[in-house]
Amino acid sequence: MRNDYPEIRGLAPLGSLRSPWAGLETEIDRLFESTLSGFASAPRGQFPVDLYEDRDNTYVRAELPGVRRDDINVEMVEDHLTITAQRKDDDDEESFSCSRSLSVPEQVQADKVSASYENGVLTVTLPKREEAKPKKISVAIT
Amino acid sequence: MSLLNSIISNRSDAAGSNAALETATQRTIRPAYKVKEEADGFGLTVLLPGVTKSGLEITAEASQLSIRGRRNWKQPEGWTQIYRESVDAPFELVLQHDNSFDSDKAVAEFRHGVLRLALPKTEVLKPKKIKIG
Repeated sequence: MRNDYPEIRGLAPLGSLRSPWAGLETEIDRLFESTLSGFASAPRGQFPVDLYEDRDNTYVRAELPGVRRDDINVEMVEDHLTITAQRKDDDDEESFSCSRSLSVPEQVQADKVSASYENGVLTVTLPKREEAKPKKISVAIT
Repeated sequence: MSLLNSIISNRSDAAGSNAALETATQRTIRPAYKVKEEADGFGLTVLLPGVTKSGLEITAEASQLSIRGRRNWKQPEGWTQIYRESVDAPFELVLQHDNSFDSDKAVAEFRHGVLRLALPKTEVLKPKKIKIG
């Protein structure tokens, strides 16, 4: 899904016409991006995911452009979240199916997981279990 | 990346076009895309997850087609990042072309983070059947 597609004669990416290192450049850029920015990069052929949390929830954001809501499946089994997406198209080339499983760090109320899809990005909200939430303990000073 | 990019693009683009200067100052990433040729035109599909219509800019110049997309999602207050794979940098795709399509007749459709551009071929290039008399 993240792969660059082969270009055709009439419309070529900038650089490939001029630079002898066109392919290499992007590889090097990728290397710099992943090592210098502190960001992990998605395994090859898989959609990138981000994890966030706040006091009450853990959030998973997945980049899934061009998928219909009905074709996204979100499943929670024990502490693993599995996102499956497929794109069905008249054009066979654009059809694909991909799936990613991630372990969620906190205890999750599996029955209250919700998800929304906007602008090609899926956001899954995983409410934390009460016992996993940070607690404020007031200590009496005597 | 910006260092490499600025060296390479400045050297190869010695004329100093604005596009080269822009890429040198702002880090961008190239989106996944596909070009398909059909009898009467080209179809360009670009994957721009997280980009909204207002953050999308398509520019057709003499022999260059540029697509820029900004993601407008901001990490809400109170959210802490645990793990990150996506990048905040805006998308930028610059394609050189030989004017074989008519940019005035281009049609763009943007949905669910996917941009589909239909670029009809210039009349001259469309296949014509020649009758044998």
